[in-house]
Amino acid sequence: MLEALLGALSETLYMVFFATLFSSIGGFGLAIFLILTGPHGLRPRPGIYAALDAVVNLLRSFPFMILMIALIPFTRTVAGVAYGSTAAIVPLTVAAIPFMARLVEGSLLEVDPGVVEAARSFGASDGQIIFQVMVREAMPSIVLNVAVLAIALLGYSAMAGAIGGGGLGALAYNEGYIRFRADMMLGAVAVLILVVQCIQICGNRIYKKLR
Amino acid sequence: MIEVRNLVKFYQSEPVLRDLSFSVAPGEIFGVVGQSGAGKSTLLRCFNGLEPYQSGSVQVMGREVARLRDKELKELRRDMGMIFQNFCLMNRKNVFENVAFPLRVWESHPALPKRVRRFLGIGETADARTRARVMELLELVGLADKRFERVQNLSGGQKQRVGIARALALNPKILLCDEATSALDPGTTLDILQLLQDINAHFRLTLVVVTHQMEVVKRICHRLLLLDKGAGLRLGRTEDLFLSPGGMGRFADEEYARLPSGVNIRLLFPREIARQAVIAAMARDLGLSFPIVGGKLEHYIDDVLGFLIINVPEENLDTVYGYLREKNLRWEALDDA
Repeated sequence: MLEALLGALSETLYMVFFATLFSSIGGFGLAIFLILTGPHGLRPRPGIYAALDAVVNLLRSFPFMILMIALIPFTRTVAGVAYGSTAAIVPLTVAAIPFMARLVEGSLLEVDPGVVEAARSFGASDGQIIFQVMVREAMPSIVLNVAVLAIALLGYSAMAGAIGGGGLGALAYNEGYIRFRADMMLGAVAVLILVVQCIQICGNRIYKKLR
Repeated sequence: MIEVRNLVKFYQSEPVLRDLSFSVAPGEIFGVVGQSGAGKSTLLRCFNGLEPYQSGSVQVMGREVARLRDKELKELRRDMGMIFQNFCLMNRKNVFENVAFPLRVWESHPALPKRVRRFLGIGETADARTRARVMELLELVGLADKRFERVQNLSGGQKQRVGIARALALNPKILLCDEATSALDPGTTLDILQLLQDINAHFRLTLVVVTHQMEVVKRICHRLLLLDKGAGLRLGRTEDLFLSPGGMGRFADEEYARLPSGVNIRLLFPREIARQAVIAAMARDLGLSFPIVGGKLEHYIDDVLGFLIINVPEENLDTVYGYLREKNLRWEALDDA
């Protein structure tokens, strides 16, 4: 049983780690566009902002199971296969990018507009303002949001077991629920609880350090 | 230095600046006063292009702000420092890095990490120059020993000193002050005003000071513009405006809105009269007594000047008026509240 748990844990961590990494990058990029073009942004473009906003909302309203199935052809193109842990990373990332974009947008909006104005007042460019002022000031809050994202992805990754992604969720369902192995179910859930705790504690530690 | 002609600005269809015309001379401290919502801060932001304007002209150092392209506008901003009511410092940087930031923005390779720049052999001399410049500025504002302190741990006055050092980093010709002392206590306000005066005197820096605090205007501004709902109400030398009857309109009177009934006369004390015991002499000469119901003696730049309000009974009115005219004093009768 221990072996099964460890194997499932490593699959889960594999999926969550890469999905978090890719969706952080994607979500961060998207958030920058949202911030730039937004109503109080440095380059307000109502049309572009409305379009991005709609796409983000649309993707976020899909139930993850449905999105995962709808993405199967896309997953096959990107990952080469449609099942397995690696394949699961694709729908996880796609689902998490708009979520992360919203979280980072929120963090960046919290930056004092006065600080941005001060940077403009001595001639900083838009790029300098975004990366050297806004992102820098928002970094602690962004880190906390990465922890939120990783924990959400942990939950999604359990569902990803459905397309053979494996991991702790799949173990709890296939072994624990279908085969009535209560010990396996409890073990998997206990490990998931531990992982969530670890992620949150790490996030909080880094947050405190950065503040 | 700054030439404003027929400036008009709207927010949507709401006019916020109505047909303003004035100029700011090199080396002077120019005040823009008015109640909140009068458009002072908006006007200030038209000078460095943080706010656009719809018609009229704003020429700063010979350049029409609205017509500048991106790069030219940045260069104009480099020549104009700005300080803010809420200081607007970066909380995650220490004092040194906050002051250094404008310099880094204008360095040629600011974004590359130090190690990369060293590898490429660029930026080393710039670094040394930046360090020297920042230390010079921190000495000037008296915070050299706090350079590694995080700005969160500073007091309001210290934060504003950092703000001033940052605004001066690029050697601007003009310093824009947006309610720079409004968040500070009275003692700290005086310190900061002293610092601003010193800077004005030493570097021949032109200051535009936006404030709703009368004490600030009186203490440091050479000339001022009184704004009311976006329109220019008064423009002139500070002393003239404060000492001419009705010069500051209702603005300066507000604190004395509750006067006793009867006739209240405001006696103004310009430089030449301030040191004479006018009230006592009048009481003695006329054999009358009257209550003093309001007044203020203040520092106008570096003189003690001010006014007193006395309450005169109807029956003695003519005698008092006659005396005031005869002695050639400056005075005005206030309307009944």
